[in-house]
Amino acid sequence: MAAQSRPDSLFRGYDLGDYFDEMFAASGEPRPHYRKLFLELAGMATAQFDERRQLADFSFLLHGITFTVYSDGRGTERLFPFDLVPRILPRSEWNHIERGLTQRVLALNSFLQDIYGPQRILKDRRMPRSLVYSCRHFRREMIGVSVPNGIYTHVAGIDLVRDSATGEFLVLEDNVRTPSGVSYVVENRAVMTRTFPRAFQLHEVLPVEHYPMELCQVLRSIAPRGGDNPVIVLLTPGIFNSAYFEHTFLAQQMGVELVEGRDLIVDGDVVYMKTIHGLTRVDVIYRRIDDEYLDSLTFRSDSLLGVPGLMGAYRAGNVALANAVGNGVADDKAIYAYVPEFIRYYLGEEPVLRNVETWLCSKPDHLAYVLEHLDQLVVKEVGESGGYGMLMGPMSSRATIEQFRDRLVADPRNYIAQPVIRLSRCPSYDPAAGGMAGRHIDLRPYCLFNGEKVVLVPGGLTRVALKPGSLVVNSSQGGGSKDTWVLRGEA
Amino acid sequence: MLSRIADSLFWIARYMERAEDMARILEVNYHMLLDPSTQTVRLRWGPLVAISGEQERFSAHYEQPDARNVFEFLAFHQDNPDSIVRCVQMVRENARTIRDRISREMWEDVNSLYHAVMAFKPEEEMAVGPHRFCNAIKFGSHRFHGVADDTLPHDEGWHFLQAGRALERASMTARIVDVEYHQLLERALEAADNHQWMAVLKSVAAYEIYRREYHSRIEPEKVAELLILHPQHPRSIRFNIAALQQALRAISGTRSGSYANEAERLTGKLHETLMYDRIQDIFSRGLHPFLTEMQNTCRSIGEQIARTYFYYAVVA
Repeated sequence: MAAQSRPDSLFRGYDLGDYFDEMFAASGEPRPHYRKLFLELAGMATAQFDERRQLADFSFLLHGITFTVYSDGRGTERLFPFDLVPRILPRSEWNHIERGLTQRVLALNSFLQDIYGPQRILKDRRMPRSLVYSCRHFRREMIGVSVPNGIYTHVAGIDLVRDSATGEFLVLEDNVRTPSGVSYVVENRAVMTRTFPRAFQLHEVLPVEHYPMELCQVLRSIAPRGGDNPVIVLLTPGIFNSAYFEHTFLAQQMGVELVEGRDLIVDGDVVYMKTIHGLTRVDVIYRRIDDEYLDSLTFRSDSLLGVPGLMGAYRAGNVALANAVGNGVADDKAIYAYVPEFIRYYLGEEPVLRNVETWLCSKPDHLAYVLEHLDQLVVKEVGESGGYGMLMGPMSSRATIEQFRDRLVADPRNYIAQPVIRLSRCPSYDPAAGGMAGRHIDLRPYCLFNGEKVVLVPGGLTRVALKPGSLVVNSSQGGGSKDTWVLRGEA
Repeated sequence: MLSRIADSLFWIARYMERAEDMARILEVNYHMLLDPSTQTVRLRWGPLVAISGEQERFSAHYEQPDARNVFEFLAFHQDNPDSIVRCVQMVRENARTIRDRISREMWEDVNSLYHAVMAFKPEEEMAVGPHRFCNAIKFGSHRFHGVADDTLPHDEGWHFLQAGRALERASMTARIVDVEYHQLLERALEAADNHQWMAVLKSVAAYEIYRREYHSRIEPEKVAELLILHPQHPRSIRFNIAALQQALRAISGTRSGSYANEAERLTGKLHETLMYDRIQDIFSRGLHPFLTEMQNTCRSIGEQIARTYFYYAVVA
């Protein structure tokens, strides 16, 4: 590969390592669907690339596309680091992913319908009852509640990783409560088309900008009163939430009102918003507030974020919520191990996308194995997300591992363990080295379910661990993102 | 329109106006110091702090007001809630909470103004004087309204912006005239006072208008007439009370000759006074009481707008 050895090339000294590289085959040749982009980048001097990069960063800053981190105690606005090298998927690979996710979302929704309804899966003993009832996010209040059109998982963000060992996509976790990040999918594309217009002339990239419209369609369809013009609102915890930018983005793109709890009021089991000309009835709430904070009369009484009485209006069928309340039982990391079983049980199909091998610490034999191999495994808390509450065995100190061991023994139901997956890598710009370096990535496609079919916007959010060697892609842990291209064809 | 959003739009406009007015006052007075004919005059920085209404906070940080510390206090001080930097921060905070409801251009404009303002280093600016900084604010504010006018639908939200700006500007002009008059009439008329009146006029962009309208040397009574009663000068109190009345009527849909709420009643009553009183009438009753009353009425109007449109009685 000539370009890798040219002294001014962005790819000089690029090391494939022992990983699946998205751009290069093991031989060092660019893969067919990356060939045009590789030539484009290889012909570019570092200074030229760096200039584009600054242009893109400035664009994000100007648009105020930021998220807030609270780790420093002050709540600082930060840019979500953006890497200019896109992640490209050929159409056939995307089709495979789409089939797998469609199936998975249908199965998750069926599971939720069942678990808050007849509970056939428990009666048929296909999974342990105790696992469901011990789940922190299982909401007894939802049993017997009929949700509009039977939809629970209006929006799902399902995290996929490519295993370097096999090159296969695996499902790492399901997010069916309030998955975030989709605004970056749309914004990354917008910035990318401005920064690298030529690359889009060379490729046929499937568009993603219609996501908010698709979401709005789903929300309209669940309005309890029907009619052409239901009042839809997006309920945000407010400006201090780390995903606040996304809330404003989606509300604006959908043309719906962005509301906070204090803008709403419940009277006689009907939800209203407070406008300058009086109260207006609300039909659909796309809520980006967790279950616990939704309604201080039903859940946490100290919550000021939600709307007192909201659950009453929801149960009375006067307002629709997306996503449904109680979805956390489906994306619990211990329940995750049973999702392939859900696919077989509810759909009568074999899973298209496999799970990562998972040990449930609630099972004594699994726990024994996990305790013995803590230094080789990833241990996760079942109800957490965002990279919190995690032990990366091989990268942790003796002391950290021992701390985790105590926690595991004290509360085994709260933990699962998985092997460390060697995530695939994608060339990413390393400003310190002034060139490309392989960085680990994952993929979170966003799936919308309208009660009949699952709609995916091609691609999704590719997150990248920008720290050398890191396997953690979460933005709270120094991760960034890339634009994700699904090509119309194979190259 | 959500009450909270109307509230934010109203305050975005008020804070933007406050920032602009402070920038104008600061710049003009500062540059007067550079005029060689006034070098013998001890500059009186006190009035500027008085206009900001933050004398107590000022004394907590500084001893005697001087060019440098007044500039720092009015432009940059985080402890002064009305400092220019704080006002711009408030504009952006408010814009951020409603960024879904303002145009993308408006948000980008506010955001870039914010980043530009935060990039100014107080030490450097105090060394070169306020022109560069104040100009950035002034034109930032003009651009803000230009962008809003051209990209926001001229619906209720836009009218709340207009109302906020008009109310803030009317009360600010009242305060400027009140403070300056007080200060200048205390002393015998000196040559320097002419310069100070020029500064007052320039601070509200009225110097050229004055020259055209009156062709005379600067007489305090005429300055007051221009700033209080002029029907077309965009910074006169009358002009802004008229604009406020128009905005409030557009929001409620009230026709002229009636009123829909207390804010409209107070505004209408005030506008009548400003239309039919002559400057000599005002002077004969006393300028200071008139302007004090004016500022109180502006405060009441603000409270009534909030009560009518922004706050909700809690339903049990």
